[in-house]
Amino acid sequence: MLEVVRLCKAFGSLVVTDNVSLKLEPGERRVILGPNGAGKTTLFNLLVGELKPSEGKIHLSGADLTPLSIEARARMGLARSYQKNNLFNGLTIRENLELAGARALGLSRHLLRDTHRDPRLRDLVEEVAEQVGLTSRLEETVEHSSYGNRRQLEVGLALAMRPKVLLMDEPTSGVGPGMIQAFHELLHSLSRDLTILIVEHDMDLAFDVADRITVLNYGKVVFEGTPEETRASELVQEIYLGGWDTDA
Amino acid sequence: MFQQTPLKLATLALIILGLLLYAILGGYFARELVIEVAVLAILAMSLDMVAGYGGMVSLCHGAIFGLGAYMYAIVNVLGEGSPISGTLAALAVSGLFGLLVGAITSRTHGIYFIMTTLAFGQMAYVLIFDASSLGGDDGMWGLGRGDLSGLGINLEDSLQFAILCLLCVPLSYAVLSGVLRSGFGRSLVGIRENEGRMRALGITIWKIKAIGFALSGTVAGLAGVLAAQHTMFVSPELMTWTVSGEVLVVVILGGLGTLIGPAVGAVLLIFLKHALSSFTDYWHIVIGVLLILVVMSGGRGVYGGLELFWERRRNSLNKQEV
Amino acid sequence: MSDLSFWLVQALHGLQYSMLLFLLSVGLTVIFGLLHFVNLAHGALYALGAYISFSLTNWTGSFWAGFFGAPLGVALVGISLYLGLIRQMRKAGPMNQVLVTFGLIFIFLDLCRILWGDIALGVEQPEIFSKTVEFLGVTYPSYRLFVIALGLAVMGGLHLVLSRTQIGAMIRAGVDNDQMAACLGINVEQLFFFVFCVGCALAGIAGAVAAPILSVSPEMGTSILIPTLIVVVIGGLGSLPGAILGSLLVGFIQTIGAVVAPQLASILVYALLAGVLILKPSGLLPARS
Repeated sequence: MLEVVRLCKAFGSLVVTDNVSLKLEPGERRVILGPNGAGKTTLFNLLVGELKPSEGKIHLSGADLTPLSIEARARMGLARSYQKNNLFNGLTIRENLELAGARALGLSRHLLRDTHRDPRLRDLVEEVAEQVGLTSRLEETVEHSSYGNRRQLEVGLALAMRPKVLLMDEPTSGVGPGMIQAFHELLHSLSRDLTILIVEHDMDLAFDVADRITVLNYGKVVFEGTPEETRASELVQEIYLGGWDTDA
Repeated sequence: MFQQTPLKLATLALIILGLLLYAILGGYFARELVIEVAVLAILAMSLDMVAGYGGMVSLCHGAIFGLGAYMYAIVNVLGEGSPISGTLAALAVSGLFGLLVGAITSRTHGIYFIMTTLAFGQMAYVLIFDASSLGGDDGMWGLGRGDLSGLGINLEDSLQFAILCLLCVPLSYAVLSGVLRSGFGRSLVGIRENEGRMRALGITIWKIKAIGFALSGTVAGLAGVLAAQHTMFVSPELMTWTVSGEVLVVVILGGLGTLIGPAVGAVLLIFLKHALSSFTDYWHIVIGVLLILVVMSGGRGVYGGLELFWERRRNSLNKQEV
Repeated sequence: MSDLSFWLVQALHGLQYSMLLFLLSVGLTVIFGLLHFVNLAHGALYALGAYISFSLTNWTGSFWAGFFGAPLGVALVGISLYLGLIRQMRKAGPMNQVLVTFGLIFIFLDLCRILWGDIALGVEQPEIFSKTVEFLGVTYPSYRLFVIALGLAVMGGLHLVLSRTQIGAMIRAGVDNDQMAACLGINVEQLFFFVFCVGCALAGIAGAVAAPILSVSPEMGTSILIPTLIVVVIGGLGSLPGAILGSLLVGFIQTIGAVVAPQLASILVYALLAGVLILKPSGLLPARS
């Protein structure tokens, strides 16, 4: 589904992404783990289109994404969520989701039709709101919403795009323990029509949700395997400095 | 986001009916004022679409307005074309100019954006000013109004022309509000709120901005045509950057981002100017002080403040019911 | 006049206009670059300077009273503006600053009309510079040479202050990164205030100096504003070399252009402005790296 072929990114003489190759099968849940400075964020930005690679290619269902802009990749079915909330703060949660959904339904180009009244859009928004647990808060403005709710909306926006591939950047960053469980459940509940790649710090999430785990260190892929294999790997243990840190 | 509310529609109705009554009952001078208000209201609403809703503060709308007026004059006087063809040409040219400005400036923001629009507006002004065939500083005379005699309407009559201008106000409002409620219009607001996220959702930013500016420009051009037909004369004075500044002032006085607010601002400014100038030559000071006060007190404008008050009252009543 | 001497005169005209633009734009650019404040009223301050110098010159019979009094007067006005309005609006967005200073333009316009009337006024050139000078085969008014010399002197003086003095270093630091400068213990508020007043004083000098050449009228502020803004943006906000380059470019294009190809010249200046804004918004000689 999503294929990364020998991707490299150098800033001057500093090589941040070093020959990274990945292959995600349709419906797969892949988590990218790695210590700070391993190049996870850069890899993420390369996939999303914020950065252009020095070398290598990215393919989505065989189509070459590498030369495409951020918006073009989004139109090809690649959705992303941000590590730091990047929402439409002045608008309501419903309006936020409508913006994403309208694009997905091709309503953004219409010049005179009132999209707010479109039943398909309504349904889409309500469906996604249900998925991320925001149904009762649709009319709230983002400005007045709690951090946790905004984190949910972050994912909601990406889901409302009805993407083929969902790229998530540390989705539980800054989220309290109660809500982390909700995130685990949300990720489990997502349909296998969706292929998901998550860049994460949180080991628990990785082991719980992932089909396969890729571990980066110093910009290189140093390990790839199932959660069990990852847990058993001495190399990975060493990278994370002596044993697993699995707090809730 | 734009929402069609009863308050907005009521305000629109009040403005139109009030001005209509004034035109009918007042004399010739009253009609002159009404026409001025209508033209300024249309221009200000067009600016609000890109500035208030699109977040693109343009200082070239005066120039677009003037371009519309001049295009009408060129077709009608130099080309001896009909008023209809003059109007269509004006709308096309002002729309095209808007499209270009919107597209070219799509990557600039903040003060740089404002100044770039200023630059483009000045370019248009200088082009017109220096064109000797267009009369230069003296302008062009002899423009004609439309001929609706087939419908029994005589536009040479000031009352009937005033009514035409008044009708164009709700027409412009309908077009602009329709666009703002559409998927396209919402994308425009989305870009204002968070351009980066809109890109990540798959929107091509420059296209939305360009089309938004084009639509806004077309409505501004309509205002230009009416102004040209009103005085049956055009001069480069229509296009100076201070005109663009004044339109922005009207938008702020009425209420940025409310669509009907700028129309309120137009009514306020024209009547205030008229009232003040009847007993002093120095009404600029009053407008200047008023503007500063409005901005310093939060910048919501007259109608904007009213709308906020109305919303708060409605919300607190709703809470009481619950 | 021979061809060469004609062009020499035009070049001198261009240089003189550039110097005038420089005096105005250098104040504006440092205010922009340091305070991040869009002051559209800068042109109005220039007009005020011209009017004050007119009054002082008339009252005392000496041009120099106006020349030294105008910057003082305008600086005083600047102080009250800063304390009353500008300081508060510094953090407001560009649109609000544009609106507020636009309001100030209106107010100053009518204030000048109330105090000095609508008719254009004239100021006499000072005795010392009332003759023409002959050199290199041309005859040129010595007053205009004085303007050029003054501009160059201010250029040199400012360059020295910015590059060799403590306060100059603080200003450059503030333009580069005002928050960091504050962290280093630089009293940025005081600096802003000082720079704003100096900027106003420069506008006042520009007005006093322009008065004998251009006529003093209420519109002179708005008509010089656009070229000044263009210079500031083309050169680069907060950049002294930028203000120098910008004023030379705009001054020469407008003056020589008016003779050679008037329509083209005006459009060229705006096209240059638009080009810089779109391709290199930080200006041709940016202050920040």
